Amino acid sequence: MKLVVAAVILTLASISVGQEDPEARLLVSKNVLNNYLVEGKDLTVEYKIFNVGGGAALDVHLKDSSFPTADFEVVHGNLEVMWERISPGANMTHAAILRPTKFGYFNFTSAEVVYYGKEDKKEQKFGYSSAPGEGGIVNKKDFDRRFSPHVLDWLVFAVMTLPSLGIPCLLWYSSSRRFTSHVKKQN
Amino acid sequence: MLGLCRNSLILLLLLLPTAVIFVGQGGRSSILVYAEEAGDVLEGEDDDATVDSDEPVADDGAESDLTATEKEEDDTRLKPSPHVDTIIHFVRPNKPSELPAGRLVRLLVGFTNNGESDFVVESMDASFRYPQDYSFYLQNFTTVGYSQVVEPKRQATFEYGFTPSDAFSGRPFGLSIMLNYKDSNGAEFANAIYNETITVVEPEEGLDAETLEKRMQSFFLYVFLAAAVVLLLIGAQQLMASFKKKPARSKTPVEMGTQNSDIDYDWIPKEALINHSPRRTPKQSPRQRRSKRSTGFGEE
Repeated sequence: MKLVVAAVILTLASISVGQEDPEARLLVSKNVLNNYLVEGKDLTVEYKIFNVGGGAALDVHLKDSSFPTADFEVVHGNLEVMWERISPGANMTHAAILRPTKFGYFNFTSAEVVYYGKEDKKEQKFGYSSAPGEGGIVNKKDFDRRFSPHVLDWLVFAVMTLPSLGIPCLLWYSSSRRFTSHVKKQN
Repeated sequence: MLGLCRNSLILLLLLLPTAVIFVGQGGRSSILVYAEEAGDVLEGEDDDATVDSDEPVADDGAESDLTATEKEEDDTRLKPSPHVDTIIHFVRPNKPSELPAGRLVRLLVGFTNNGESDFVVESMDASFRYPQDYSFYLQNFTTVGYSQVVEPKRQATFEYGFTPSDAFSGRPFGLSIMLNYKDSNGAEFANAIYNETITVVEPEEGLDAETLEKRMQSFFLYVFLAAAVVLLLIGAQQLMASFKKKPARSKTPVEMGTQNSDIDYDWIPKEALINHSPRRTPKQSPRQRRSKRSTGFGEE
């Protein structure tokens, strides 16, 4: 009898402990997906939010104010995003496309996220995302010198080489014509 | 009296060794089982050969030495701060117990500041240790510096990545990930976020969607290039053939036989001339020939 009572009490206790209001815990990663950062070319920033806690995260606001408007312009997407609910164990992805207007070294810092960890929305949590670190934005001129198709350069090259190829060709053609026309007369 | 004396003697004999063992423990938690401390022995493989002696006196000496070294090590090793809470999450692969060799392992570490003052997260590093002896380093991975200030009641996320070498595939390792940070007073702390034994496995070949896609792309590209080259060759061949056709017809005339009719037969005596004179038309049929013969019988 005592054993049964003890067992019942223990199970109730364990159940109550397990049903303690689980809390959400968000991990936010911020990455720049480009291999090259070039002035005037698109730059993709990807944000991933993972909920590694036991509970759902509510009213999740992600805001990235680390790109000054003087140095970057937003091409596509939003630097401020809101999710109403992120379930435990789920992950969300958000991407934004920017374009740097100046070249040089830029320190990519964290974005900020605010969310409620529990259902009662009493305590608002504030977090920083991971920072990609410092990156160099290459000058457009230097990038083109290495990577552009150089169409104009090739055309100019072709025009410049025409004399050195054309003159021997003309000489041969003019002399060969003389010989072929002679044979035809004989016939 | 004697019985009592004997009983007390037996009791004393039983209690003395146990008392000695218990007293001699000092700061140790386990009583009967204890491993060799890493500080004593540098070579790892020979540890299995040492046997714990049953002599309590000898054990006392050895144990006191061991506890002394252990205490020294604890002082030099950095400890985590009680105001900090960390959590780790492996992004790729999901299960850290098996890591594919040669592939980048990405993980996120969450840092919560439950204290009252700022913390500065300095760096994070990972290392592979000997699975039986965690203080023996096998490989150190790059330390990534963050230098991020985390205010009180705030959280921060840090990303880290490392690639296990191909040479390590098929072996178990102790993976140890340490996060180094300091508080506003400058006191250094370190938190071992992950300290477990993992196995480095061979990466799956061809089953991964990424590698499969890459292989397909390169395969079709090569096929396309080969087809383009073959097409060019055929085109060139056709071009050569078309250029050769016009002069070919004029250069090689077909032998038609003697066509000219103005051949001079005067010098041939008439007897030698055969009926196959050039004037004879091939349209003449044998019947016409016979009739001509009958009419022209007299001429012959």
